[in-house]
Amino acid sequence: MADSTSSILARCKSHCVNWREWEFNPIVIKELRQAVRSWAVTGMLMLFLTVLLITSLALLVGQSVRVNEDVQLGVSMFQAFVIILAGASMMFIPLYIGIRVAAERVESSHDLLYVSTLTPGRIIRGKLYCGAYMALLFFSACMPFMAFTNLMRGVDLPSVFFILLFLFLVVCAANQIAIFLACLPLSRPFKILLALGGLFLSFWLMGELIASASGMMGLGLGSMMASRNFWIAALTVLVAGLIVTGLFHVLSVALISPPSANRARLPRLYITIIWLLGGLLNVAWVIRVEDPTLIMVWTMATLIILIFALLVVISNADDLGKRVRRDIPANRLKRLLVFPYYNGAASGLVWVSGMAASTFIFAQLVLTFGGTWYPTHYGMRGADREEFTLCTATTIIYALAYALTARFIHRKFFPKRPPQIAGLLTILLISLVAIGPGIVLFFLNQLSWKSIDGLQLGNIFNIYSIHEPSQQWSHLYVAVGWLGLMLAINAGWFLKQWRNFQPLRSSASED
Amino acid sequence: MKVQVKNLRKEFGKTVAVDDISFSFDAGHIFGFVGPNGAGKTTTMRIISTIEEATQGDVLLNGISVCEEPELARRAVGYVPDTLPAHADITVHEYLDFYARAYGLRGKKRKQAVEAIEEFTNVAGIREKHLKALSKGMKQRVSLGRALVYDPDVLVLDEPAAGLDPRARVELRELLLLLAERKKAILISSHILTELTEICNGVVIIERGKILETGTIEDVIKKSKPRRIVAIRLLEGNYHQNPQLLKELLQTPFVENARDVANEIHFDLTGDESAACDILGGLIAKKYKIIEFRQTKANLEDIFMNVTKGGVQ
Repeated sequence: MADSTSSILARCKSHCVNWREWEFNPIVIKELRQAVRSWAVTGMLMLFLTVLLITSLALLVGQSVRVNEDVQLGVSMFQAFVIILAGASMMFIPLYIGIRVAAERVESSHDLLYVSTLTPGRIIRGKLYCGAYMALLFFSACMPFMAFTNLMRGVDLPSVFFILLFLFLVVCAANQIAIFLACLPLSRPFKILLALGGLFLSFWLMGELIASASGMMGLGLGSMMASRNFWIAALTVLVAGLIVTGLFHVLSVALISPPSANRARLPRLYITIIWLLGGLLNVAWVIRVEDPTLIMVWTMATLIILIFALLVVISNADDLGKRVRRDIPANRLKRLLVFPYYNGAASGLVWVSGMAASTFIFAQLVLTFGGTWYPTHYGMRGADREEFTLCTATTIIYALAYALTARFIHRKFFPKRPPQIAGLLTILLISLVAIGPGIVLFFLNQLSWKSIDGLQLGNIFNIYSIHEPSQQWSHLYVAVGWLGLMLAINAGWFLKQWRNFQPLRSSASED
Repeated sequence: MKVQVKNLRKEFGKTVAVDDISFSFDAGHIFGFVGPNGAGKTTTMRIISTIEEATQGDVLLNGISVCEEPELARRAVGYVPDTLPAHADITVHEYLDFYARAYGLRGKKRKQAVEAIEEFTNVAGIREKHLKALSKGMKQRVSLGRALVYDPDVLVLDEPAAGLDPRARVELRELLLLLAERKKAILISSHILTELTEICNGVVIIERGKILETGTIEDVIKKSKPRRIVAIRLLEGNYHQNPQLLKELLQTPFVENARDVANEIHFDLTGDESAACDILGGLIAKKYKIIEFRQTKANLEDIFMNVTKGGVQ
């Protein structure tokens, strides 16, 4: 620990002393050089400027032939420019960046990503910065046209800058999502499908963005900026956006890290930190509004993230390479603490279970004692609280049971297949139990869907369609029993993973 | 610089790509890495270059373990993969400059390093050309330049001569010899074995992940005892005697696989040199007008054919 701190300090000192040799991220320079030479970028920029020019001319000529003067011409022009800018930057830049990353991710051309001393984090940051620079290029090209609208009526400069800043951040987030999609280890047809999906997502986001920008302009954005609530809302959206972008960033870094690296650490650590901060923020909200039921927001968000995370961790390989093992601490207690942040399905299950249990216990504490703290504002009935508790607990226990079952099936019947099969098996099992009995019941009950509303033990989605407490308890008992059985079956495998979690003896000592 | 490959093993699921191989080579040496397709050459090279991680064993570069200290080891290895650079919208100079930056070369040092490598690999004249517009040979030079730009002590080349024309091959060979003179330790895999014989000091022959032969070329030739091939040429105008000579040879002891190869008769000699002497004496006694009777020198290709079974995994 002391060594790493001193090495960081030494690096900082060397950076400060040699400030004349500071240089940009090499990826940014390379990407920008490529962008400058690219016909796609040049062509798009020319097209963008031409469309802006034609639009502004059309609006101005239209105004000059009108009998009545348009007092909102500035707003109309600004909105038109925002649509053009959003279209160009939201659709083109993420697509361009994504295609570049995907081309370099092709298995056969590994020269960029692995054969240099650039870290995966630097590579992803470089791509992201390049996207931001390109967005700046498009925004600065649009700026004179936007500034011109200020000379017309109906637009104030703070509104122009606010909307542009907001749009810029959304473009950066879209770039990060495009990088993430491009990093996924999929074949070309799947990547094309993903790109199409991403384009549709961008199109939808662009529509929403334009609608909200127009709405804000209509409500008088300049006047709203004076209020505190406006900035609280803007800041909340900003922080939420940053968290999501950050998550995609760490996932992208993990995806391009070599298989021999500890890919799990960064995403698991990031989610843990966000979970902690989110929890604290939620508690602050509970205290401010004096309503303990608001803790459910954090609980449900954590639950959803953990179920997705479970599908990923259960697909992890069991073997720890030498490069990963060299960082494992020798001290048993330290090893126990860091175990959830290392590669492997067993460590991932510990991490998910730990997070889920902590969330559940903390939420229960807040809900139980909330009534005592804020008796006047406590708005949740006892029955509702019980239903919430049963549903969340049963869902996560079912999910863990399904994941362990899938892992067991993979280990027992498909040991030669890659571990990713376990994740697919989990989805398959959940779907099969959710849909299979329903279809059988549909035919048994004379083509009626009525019986599906009844109790279907094992069906993870059924918990949310029944409201009878006794049935919900039955679900919980089955889930606990199933999980217990799976834990017993997988105990040997789990213990083996823990025993293998040992630090590396160096080659020198082996000699 | 000493490169030591120690009990290296690499498994991909249940497939063993490299099975407990060990060899070593030094600075100034060119070491040939030979084996059929799927023998485990590329996997071994990727492990040495820190791209892949070994399941067991290790590679030490002057004592630095590629498994335990890959970040440190990576700076000592230049890897030329079997794929050529295919980046769009980038010139040769920008490409080399990018890698120099990626390896932490700054300011003047970087400029000098890139210019020196452009001169060395003879790409200075095409430095402003786009990578995509280059021929295979030129791309191979750029790829080599990229691996050399940060002056690594070890160079690992995976099939660098594949697809190159004869002139480009000769030029590549000369470059490698120059690099060996500069005390680089070079590991090169190639299917063009005759060329390897000319430039390599040592060789590793690998099949199905296991080493079949290793050592200096001379040692390997001595050890493997390949079949000796003898070539006989009759005086011009006497080629009509060839079929008769073939028949004759097939009935002679210590002769196998006699065949007509472009007006020459070749056969595998299973006996020693005195047997060859007897065969020659016998043929002269039978009035064959022999102008040439030579024993062809065994090369890497012969050894390779002799020791490998031709199976892939």
